[in-house]
Amino acid sequence: MSDESPSSLDAIIATYKAGLDRSLIRRSLERTVEERLETLMQLQEFAEELRRAGRAAGVG
Amino acid sequence: MTDFKALLRTLTDSGVEFILVGGVAGTVHGSTRLTVDVDAVYRRTPQNIDRLVLALTPYHPYLRGAPPGLPFRWDAATIKRGLNFTLTTDIGDVDLLGEITGGGGYDDLAGTTLSIRVFGIECRCLTLDKLIEVKRAAGRPKDFEAIAELEAIRDERSRGGRT
Repeated sequence: MSDESPSSLDAIIATYKAGLDRSLIRRSLERTVEERLETLMQLQEFAEELRRAGRAAGVG
Repeated sequence: MTDFKALLRTLTDSGVEFILVGGVAGTVHGSTRLTVDVDAVYRRTPQNIDRLVLALTPYHPYLRGAPPGLPFRWDAATIKRGLNFTLTTDIGDVDLLGEITGGGGYDDLAGTTLSIRVFGIECRCLTLDKLIEVKRAAGRPKDFEAIAELEAIRDERSRGGRT
């Protein structure tokens, strides 16, 4: 259990909530679970490709 | 890369009783956050542990982040001696959890799950409310933004009548 009291945790989460891009959430909710998981796998592939590119450029 | 489809299929085809929690459960509910592993609470009965061993053995499970060559054996005795395992396998990374903070084990969580069908596979996933509850209970700073998003998803759903 965290040391954060419920009230301070609520305040922290409210701060994060205020900064969320809800249009992304709405778009995600329009997709099926399968589509969301496929997107996750594509993002992983993209991230791996970026890491490869970074290493090839000597910055990774 | 984690092949979510293959991991879920392997577990369900072997009859492993598990509940999706963590980032993938968040994705099921609509989270846009990137997650790279499958977090699952498994039932700690001897039969289920045997099924878990059989399911993953062909994919060479090994302790994630551990140096190669450790005498790690993926067998029922190892699982019974331990509780939570962060593993890497040939089909991706999987965290197998005997218990989670704020939620307990499989039997404690079973009443707060929903059945989902994905890639033709039927499995159980923690409900959105329970997922928020356990993440809040864990109180890990790295989860704060995820909790905020999950709560926003709950707001959006109640506003839009989406389930």
